[in-house]
Amino acid sequence: MSSKLSTQTFHHYIGEKARIARAYDYLVLVLALFLFIGSFHLHFALTVGDWDFWVDWKDRQWWPLVTPLIGITFPAAVQAVMWSNFRLPLGATLCVACLSIGTWIARVFAYHYWNFFPINMVMPSTLLPSALVLDVILMMSNSLTITAIFGGSAFALLFYPSNWPIFGMFHLPIEAGNSQLTIADMFGFQYIRTGMPEYLRIIERGTLRTYGQIATPLSAFCSALLCTLMYTLWWHIGHWFATTRYLKKI
Amino acid sequence: MTTINNHKLTKMLTQINQSFVKEIQQQEILKSLFFLAIIFLAYMATFQPVMAHGEKNLEPYVRMRTIQWYDVQWSTQKFNVNDEVTLTGKFHVAEDWPISVPKPDASFLNVSTPGPVLIRTERYLNGKPFMNSVALQPGGDYDFKIVLKGRLPGRYHIHPFFNLRDAGQVMGPGAWLDIGGDEADFTNNIQTINGEIVDMETYGLGNGIFWHSFWALLATAWLLWWVRRPLFIARYRMLKAGMEDELITPLDKHIAKAILVGVPVLVFAFYTMTVNQYPKAIPLQASLDQILPLSAKVNAGVVDIETLRAEYRVPERAMKLSLNIKNSSDKPIQLGEFATGGIRFINKAVSIPDHNNTESVIATESLSLDNPTPIQPGEQRTILITAGDGLWESEKLDGLINDADSRIGGLVFFYDSEGERYVSSITSAVIPKFN
Repeated sequence: MSSKLSTQTFHHYIGEKARIARAYDYLVLVLALFLFIGSFHLHFALTVGDWDFWVDWKDRQWWPLVTPLIGITFPAAVQAVMWSNFRLPLGATLCVACLSIGTWIARVFAYHYWNFFPINMVMPSTLLPSALVLDVILMMSNSLTITAIFGGSAFALLFYPSNWPIFGMFHLPIEAGNSQLTIADMFGFQYIRTGMPEYLRIIERGTLRTYGQIATPLSAFCSALLCTLMYTLWWHIGHWFATTRYLKKI
Repeated sequence: MTTINNHKLTKMLTQINQSFVKEIQQQEILKSLFFLAIIFLAYMATFQPVMAHGEKNLEPYVRMRTIQWYDVQWSTQKFNVNDEVTLTGKFHVAEDWPISVPKPDASFLNVSTPGPVLIRTERYLNGKPFMNSVALQPGGDYDFKIVLKGRLPGRYHIHPFFNLRDAGQVMGPGAWLDIGGDEADFTNNIQTINGEIVDMETYGLGNGIFWHSFWALLATAWLLWWVRRPLFIARYRMLKAGMEDELITPLDKHIAKAILVGVPVLVFAFYTMTVNQYPKAIPLQASLDQILPLSAKVNAGVVDIETLRAEYRVPERAMKLSLNIKNSSDKPIQLGEFATGGIRFINKAVSIPDHNNTESVIATESLSLDNPTPIQPGEQRTILITAGDGLWESEKLDGLINDADSRIGGLVFFYDSEGERYVSSITSAVIPKFN
């Protein structure tokens, strides 16, 4: 019905209608908050998992590759719904903010208070700068293709530098056991994880050794390329998931 | 009148019926609550601390023929927060390593704790410190030392164990530790190569919270910028009415441009600042430690042993081993102990100095020999030993006969007249006897 309205005949809701529409906004926002805290956090914990859980998993090869690649999924899907239907450029920021809330709750209550790990050992990474840029690129371009290519790339490329101020200090060298370690490695050695032996860490493993010590940019650009594809895939998943075709049959 | 009376009667009956139904519902609810209370009480009555770490769950042939622990000791089992405690011991890596278990190319000497109630400050293998995983050699002998420091007060059951890559955890003998004191007193300072002292409990936490808060503030501002105005229904109607241009204002676009430029600039500025602040930062270390075995402690060439046959008598819960033993020492020796899969079967006829203070699973009077006389120097003798005890069943080692790899492995301890000990390993296929 509303699609047939012209700008001449369009009237903004006022009075009771406006109040109900606003109440509906808040209802959806609160539900979305809990939904994304739960679902995106679960998705992230099951896929990124240990790379985000532990400070001694945050390496320069796999961490900047895996985290943005998984981190762009829900933002892309929610952007597809929020932008296509409402022109709201906040899907990515909303999702990642919910993820941050969920991870912090889990790290403080599950890892620290329940399992006694110091919080600094299990501090989550942040994707908020990446999400902000992804939202504004979609808003400015109004294009799936441009957002996938430039937004997806920016999402991945910004990840490592935006987290280095948080985790760089954990990479200071120490001498322990007649070998050189980082402070992060020392956390893994000292704070006993019965089910997480050192060899399980998937870090610094790869065959591309030609470029020596510049592994991080290579991983970041690889992630950027993959994020463009992942973004597009999850944009369509978002569209498919937000369909109302079944409601119309009721 | 009749109609009125009927109506009253109906009303009265309905009220009676409703109160009756209500009473039945209340009774049903009370019954359900009573039932739940019984379940809860039964649960609470059986409430007890967890004492196992899955040590019986691993297949018997893995427990018997991978890491063979002995002489495991704690320096003390009662200490306070911040006190250090040392765990020492030895292990032999079985020569007859099961084919279905990957070779121990990456193994991690660990301690089973319910979270970091202790921290591990030092760890040694054959006297050499090591921080990472290590490759072990089948047939090799090793001794280990782990230094731990009390962190959280409580009573904990702790085992040394090996994480074996792609195989699982092989537990050593456990012990109860009592940690006293106040957790607030715990300190853990380490020194960086540059000489900076770092408190591991809080290091980087304030900085991390600051950066998370900083970006969260910007993100919240961006979300509030949009949430403050009518959202879903209003915007959907406007979009469908072709009023898309009104949904994004020029000010929105200015802010978006500022974010598009400002956020990456801030990110790279902060990144550069951090790189300059920590120019000595290095990548995470991911090496595998290489430590050679000790010179032979087990099968050292003094007492040679060959397993001729092994039978497991199911009704008697007894393992019968036919062993051909050659004593190349210059003193008579006696077989004092057979250890496998975490159980120690002791020959009570032999005086054994105890090198363990863990709560090993011990069958004290369970080892018997068909010929208990000492084996003389240079003598070669075939003897039949019987290790019989219900522990085969309670420790779930009798499942060996149902394993895909029904072979036994273990250590045999001999003692000479002066208390000198000789250790040999055995291995053999096991034949079950059901009657």
